[in-house]
Amino acid sequence: MISLAEELALLAIEDDGAVAYTAGQAGFGMALIGACLVDLNGQGRLDADLTAVHILSRAPTGDPMLDLVLGEMSGDTLLSVEQWVLQLAPQVPTLVQLALTALVKRGILAQKESRFLWVLKERRYPVMDGREQKEAKLRIMSTLLGDDVPTPHDTVLVGLARAGGLLEGFLSAQEIHRLESRIGEVGGIDLVVRGVEAAIREDQAARARAMMLPMY
Amino acid sequence: MSVLNTTLETVNGVVVVLPEGRLDYDAAAGFQSTLEQTLAGSDKPRGMIIDCTSLSYVSSAGLRSFLVGARAAKSAGVPFVVCSLSQSVREVFTVSGFSRIIEEHADRAAALAKLG
Repeated sequence: MISLAEELALLAIEDDGAVAYTAGQAGFGMALIGACLVDLNGQGRLDADLTAVHILSRAPTGDPMLDLVLGEMSGDTLLSVEQWVLQLAPQVPTLVQLALTALVKRGILAQKESRFLWVLKERRYPVMDGREQKEAKLRIMSTLLGDDVPTPHDTVLVGLARAGGLLEGFLSAQEIHRLESRIGEVGGIDLVVRGVEAAIREDQAARARAMMLPMY
Repeated sequence: MSVLNTTLETVNGVVVVLPEGRLDYDAAAGFQSTLEQTLAGSDKPRGMIIDCTSLSYVSSAGLRSFLVGARAAKSAGVPFVVCSLSQSVREVFTVSGFSRIIEEHADRAAALAKLG
C-alpha cells in the first residue's frame, strides 16, 4: 500500500507523464510535507495538537521520505505544525524526488529521459499501473459527491489535494466551484491539514510582503 | 503513556460515552475501538452521545478516532452527538472543521432531549 505522501505525489503526475506545474509551487510542497507528517502520525512517530508537534519516537520507519522528515525534526523546542511545515520547506525538492523514486520502485511509474529541442534534458514519469492514481481520484470524487462522513484518510487526501492545488488537475473550475461547499465541509478535518493551510497562508503573505519592499 | 478511561452508560436506549482524560495517540485506538464495537453490537443504540465533560485534551490522532466513530454511527443509522465540550476540546473541533459535521449540545440533558 502506498503512503499518503506517495499518493499525493502521484496526483501531480499528468497523463503524459510530466510532473504537473503545480508540483513546483510552494503549496504543493507544503501539502507534501503535511502528508509526511500525517503518515508519521499514523506510524506512531509523532502526534500534533493546536500548538505543537510532539515527537513520540525517533525509530526509523524504513520509508526514506518519512525518515528524512523525522530526522530533520530535531531540537528540543516545540514547534507547531505550521512552523514545522515552513521549516521543512527547503526539503521539498528532495521529498518530491524520493516520492517519485518510490513510485518507480513500486512499478506504478516509469522513468523516461528525453531531449527537448535536442538540447534540454527532460524527465517524465509515465504511469505504468494506473490503478493507484485512479483510485486516489475516485476516492476524492466519491468523498465530494457523497454525503457520508469521510474516513480520516480521505478527508486528509481531499484537504491536502486542495491545499496543494491538485484538484485542478482533474476537476474543472466549474466543478470545483459547484463542490466548493462540500470541499470546505469534508476536506481536511484534521489538525495537520489545518497547519499546512496556515503555513501556505503565511508563505503567501511573506511573499506579498517581500514584493512590497522597495527595490533600492 | 497517557491514560484515558472510557465508561459507557445507557439511557433509554441511547449510549452515553464518557471519555475521561487525554485522547492522544496512545489512547486513540482504544477509544475508536470502543465506539466501533458499541455501534456494531447486536443491540443497536438509538443514539450515541459523547459526553466530553471529563475529556481534557484531543490531539490529531484523537480527533481521527472521533471521525471514525461519527462515520461508523452514520453508516449504522445511529444519531451521533457530542456534549459538554471544554474550551480546549471545542477549539480543536472548531479549528479542524469537525464541528461542521457533528451536532454539539451544551450538556447531556440537552443531548438526551434531542435524541429522546
